[in-house]
Amino acid sequence: MRGAGTVGWCSSWKGAEFSKAHTMRLTFAGFAWRNVWRRRLRTALTLCGIGMGIGAFVALVGFSRSFEHAWLEMYESSGTDLAVVQKTFLNTSVDQSVGPVLRGIPQIQTAAPMVINMMAVTPELNTLVYGWQADTFEFSALQILEGRRFRDGQQEVMLGELLAGSLNKKVGDSVDLQGGSFTVVGIYRSGSALEAGAIIMPLDEMQSLSGMSGKVTAFHVQLKPAPAGTSTAQWKQEAEDAVEHALPGLRAVPAAERASNNQLVVLAHAAAWGTSLIALLVAALGIANTMAMSVFERTREIGVLRAMGWSQRRVMALILLEAAALGLAGGVIGVALGWGALHVLASLPQTASIVSTALPMKTLMDGLLMATIVGVAAGSVPAWRGAQLSPVEALRHE
Amino acid sequence: MSEAAVAGGEMASQWILEVRDLKKSYENGRIEALRGVDLGIAAGDFLAITGPSGSGKSTLLHLLGGLDVATEGTVLFRGQVVGKSQSGADSIGAGSIDLDTYRARWAGFIFQSFHLLPSLNALENVQVPMLGIGGHRHGREERARALLVELGLESRLGQYPTQLSAGERQRVAIARSLVNNPQVLLADEPTGNLDSVNSAKILELLAEIQIRHGMTLIMVTHDESIASSAHRHVRMRDGRICN
Repeated sequence: MRGAGTVGWCSSWKGAEFSKAHTMRLTFAGFAWRNVWRRRLRTALTLCGIGMGIGAFVALVGFSRSFEHAWLEMYESSGTDLAVVQKTFLNTSVDQSVGPVLRGIPQIQTAAPMVINMMAVTPELNTLVYGWQADTFEFSALQILEGRRFRDGQQEVMLGELLAGSLNKKVGDSVDLQGGSFTVVGIYRSGSALEAGAIIMPLDEMQSLSGMSGKVTAFHVQLKPAPAGTSTAQWKQEAEDAVEHALPGLRAVPAAERASNNQLVVLAHAAAWGTSLIALLVAALGIANTMAMSVFERTREIGVLRAMGWSQRRVMALILLEAAALGLAGGVIGVALGWGALHVLASLPQTASIVSTALPMKTLMDGLLMATIVGVAAGSVPAWRGAQLSPVEALRHE
Repeated sequence: MSEAAVAGGEMASQWILEVRDLKKSYENGRIEALRGVDLGIAAGDFLAITGPSGSGKSTLLHLLGGLDVATEGTVLFRGQVVGKSQSGADSIGAGSIDLDTYRARWAGFIFQSFHLLPSLNALENVQVPMLGIGGHRHGREERARALLVELGLESRLGQYPTQLSAGERQRVAIARSLVNNPQVLLADEPTGNLDSVNSAKILELLAEIQIRHGMTLIMVTHDESIASSAHRHVRMRDGRICN
């Protein structure tokens, strides 16, 4: 062996100058992603699993949130300040006879009785049907595109333009509801998907169809302007207290609260979260399996990292970053899938009346955040196990 | 213990590495790999460790490199205890260096089977030890590139391990072991997977590096001819030094 001196094949710097054209900076994140992408098929399948889970979350929770938003939009556009409903959850009807009592409360300008129900307009298509009085203030939120308002006591209906398009109906046509034939007297436009895809008919006819004679689902209340020196919130609170004092058993809820707490929205939220959590659990198991396999297969490589001085914490951070990257990438796919699913649902006649494509940004962010958290949580055990490996034992691993 | 303290050698010692009554056993003491080894290695030394299979030479190398922990006894680097041992740092009045820091900053490893990461090219493989301790990424790339060029691999920077010959892989592994400027280079049968031509080249390269960088080189080998070229030669048998 030679001692000191120039090593035989040590080359000149000419080659170095040439190779400087190629930048190959290894970053911690780049290294993590390289590890994730090594097993392309397995990673792709895992991403599909996460994507499906997050897609379900975005579609279902997005649907339930947009459903809630549509309710809020409907209340706000009509100028409804309070909804007066039953305190109980299962028995939700209110006697229509309490209307005069409500109108006698000093803070209240007007109280409009209304009934809401879901009915079949064709064997394949169910839609929301509202029963309103012909003179209700709630018409102020609607723009009548064709025809006119219905008249109380007449077998007449108005169709939202979305529904009219789906059914291919125009003014003068008839619609069959619960065995009765109703004449379409108007087509209207509304900013709320819950109204744009719905039917509005006279309250008395609706009560008759629903078997709710003398009963309504709620009273929608408009308040008088707050007097000088009283804030709007304070005025509203006084009105709520006055309603509950005058009519024990009923409660007055602000429109925003009614939008988020009505039975349909509560059920939609519960179903959406329940189903989404199951889907997310399945996605988490997929990531955990992928990361466990990855750590097992790379045992010797982890040993090399440890031999090179990587600390346990650094190794753990690498594996967690890989799991988080998997989760986040799956989340991006899932958000796209969920967004697409909502658009498909919104385009179907069967669901168009209750699905809005306006996906709240919060839902998108929640989807990405949950995907990342699920990734990190699912990767934590494999990461911990990987970090605990002794360098020597890991290097001996076959 | 700070790096400056370790580099300066707070405890005066003629040895850069020293082991005292080092014992290592497995399976609750049923298998004794080392049975009490005492050894001092001077800075800039080239030490060869030979011995038959099962003699404990690789175990000794792993303990010297901080890859494993002794059952009893102490490994001292510049007078500081490396990692934890049963005799402990306090009992001998020394400070200590944790194993991760020791491996990252002071010891470089070369393995018989190279152990390059298959998903990274040559240049990236060399950057891995630096990635473990952070540092500026521009500096990382430049340092790795310079070492690979120094080792004659300037045209192979972007090649992955499967695209490299065995000799080239070992040179990449050597560059990787040098990248954090260790003071001790530990080589476990570095020519074990190479043909005679490449073996000679790698040994020549290691000797060159050891002198040029003023490093301490500790090499485990089966080959007596390789061992004879070292400054010191330690023979092991049955977990003990026998010369």
